Amino acid sequence: MRMISRYTIGLLPIVIIMLLAAYPFMNDSRSTLILLSKIFIFAVFAMSYDLLLGYTGIVSFGHAMFFGIGAYAIGIVMYKIGDSMGMLLLALLIGVVLAAIVSYIVGILTLRLQSHFYAMLTLAFAGLFTVLAEKWRSITKGNDGFPFPIPDFFRDRTTFYYFALVFMILFFLLLRRFTKSPLGRVLQAIRENEQRTASLGYQVVHYKVIVSVVAGVVAALCGGMYGMTLRFVNTSVFSMNTTLDALLMTIIGGIGTLYGGVIGAALIELAHELLTSLAKVHPIFERWIIFFGLLYILVVMVFPLGIAGTFKLWLKRKKTSIPLGKRDDVPW
Amino acid sequence: MNLDVIVNLLVNGLATGMLIFLLASGLSLIFGLMDVLNFSHGGLFAWGAYMGVWVYVSTGSFLLAVVGAVLGGVAIGFILERWIIRPIYGNHLQQILVTLGVMLVLSELLKVFWGPNPLNAAVPPYLDGSWQLGGIILIKYRLFIIIVGILLLVGIQLLLTRTKLGLVVRAGVLNKEMVQALGYNIKRIFSIVFMLGAGMAALGGVLLAPYSGVIFSEMGMQFAILAFIVVVIGGMGSVQGSAVASVLVGLSGAFMAYYVPDLSLAVNMLLMVLVLLIKPSGLYGLKR
Repeated sequence: MRMISRYTIGLLPIVIIMLLAAYPFMNDSRSTLILLSKIFIFAVFAMSYDLLLGYTGIVSFGHAMFFGIGAYAIGIVMYKIGDSMGMLLLALLIGVVLAAIVSYIVGILTLRLQSHFYAMLTLAFAGLFTVLAEKWRSITKGNDGFPFPIPDFFRDRTTFYYFALVFMILFFLLLRRFTKSPLGRVLQAIRENEQRTASLGYQVVHYKVIVSVVAGVVAALCGGMYGMTLRFVNTSVFSMNTTLDALLMTIIGGIGTLYGGVIGAALIELAHELLTSLAKVHPIFERWIIFFGLLYILVVMVFPLGIAGTFKLWLKRKKTSIPLGKRDDVPW
Repeated sequence: MNLDVIVNLLVNGLATGMLIFLLASGLSLIFGLMDVLNFSHGGLFAWGAYMGVWVYVSTGSFLLAVVGAVLGGVAIGFILERWIIRPIYGNHLQQILVTLGVMLVLSELLKVFWGPNPLNAAVPPYLDGSWQLGGIILIKYRLFIIIVGILLLVGIQLLLTRTKLGLVVRAGVLNKEMVQALGYNIKRIFSIVFMLGAGMAALGGVLLAPYSGVIFSEMGMQFAILAFIVVVIGGMGSVQGSAVASVLVGLSGAFMAYYVPDLSLAVNMLLMVLVLLIKPSGLYGLKR
């Protein structure tokens, strides 16, 4: 029995991927394809956040700024210069380079201080980028934002759906490789015990800066993908809500697992879709995020492993009878 | 550039600085004493503004509005400290994450109770209008905010330096364990300081409402960002530092808003980055 259940769980992702790949053949409703594409993109966004929070134990409240940089880079290049394939690559490159520079500067400034400073400073920097996007009207068109064209190849929703699916799978594999690399091991050591890692001779700050740059770059790519989904960008990509999305998805899904981000993204985007449609029944559903806020507080305080981690622990417990309250793989 | 403009910018800057001070001093004191960086502090500020406007609209008395907002803030502070913050003392990451979640819930609750649209806030008639002093127009309500701010600054300093409670709080900032070992119930002190900070944040909110004329749920986060900049510049745990940095940030904001409006937040950020590079513990910060 146990063998069977282990194999079932190993097979589960493959089955899900096959179902998702077959989905457009069964139902090609535009809105569902867009919703699923958004879930794939936010899953990668949440995974990039998980690198910081779940694997290194760094709290950033400004992850939206990298997302926004990526989204605006695509929007501005496509709108001002042209919508060819080459320009798309150029735009992604610009977003990635800018995100790397910004995350490097912010990291160098604050990662050597207490964890509070990074949280506060990233929050303030994200605020600065929101103001920049609002005020630099000649390029960003202010609060209202602007629509922009994308290359013909991605204009087909089904093509873009597959592209987003491959994007998610690719980045899941890449980031898993990253976390299992020697570098990733050092990051987890920092999460577990920073002083000890430092005393073993690792330059803790360097590793923290590296992971914040990696997370920033991946987030910028997600922002670019998001811009391509909507073919529209406005200041909301820089808003606190974007950071909160990453935070809720990562924590509720389960930190330190990567696939927790996928679960969280699916849960929150689907709930968003479902609950806002319930707003006609009772206006409280317009404020659906409040339920997730409460759930989030509960998870952080009581179930720090989130959905994925609690499930993993539950499986392990069946084998070795570890008490369910045990918190491994959690930075707090 | 004439005198009229300069005086007005000074008054504006000081008034904004005082409002930021009300938020930042609580934040800084809570951090200094309890080692908790409260990301929901801005939520208390916004709640103060909404509760104040609600009381003012339903009773017509500004005094009642201020009292109601402060009491409401203290009550929310009590609940937060008792059931959310206390179970997770000493765990930085968890505190940061939970208090941000509380911020989210607080600002969403505002929308549940008062709707998602911004509300208008009126200046009470006896504080409305302005005085003219030799060609310079002084707006009454802004002077009122400055006076209240100065009174509170003096009040807090007196509380901290002249009373038994203040002595214990200052000692607690320096060495919690020692205070505890000497037989003081540090948990009760924590609770009192947290409620005090929450009350001041709510007071800042209710005073801001007629000043800006309109309140909205995101204003909590906006002011919280300024307050964070202030505590980093002034130094965590120092009320004096918060006061100096608040005035600095308020004034630079007012002058920049007049001359180069797009850069006002950027200048404050630059100031913060400079302080972080030169003296990461802040102007008045204790060495940690």
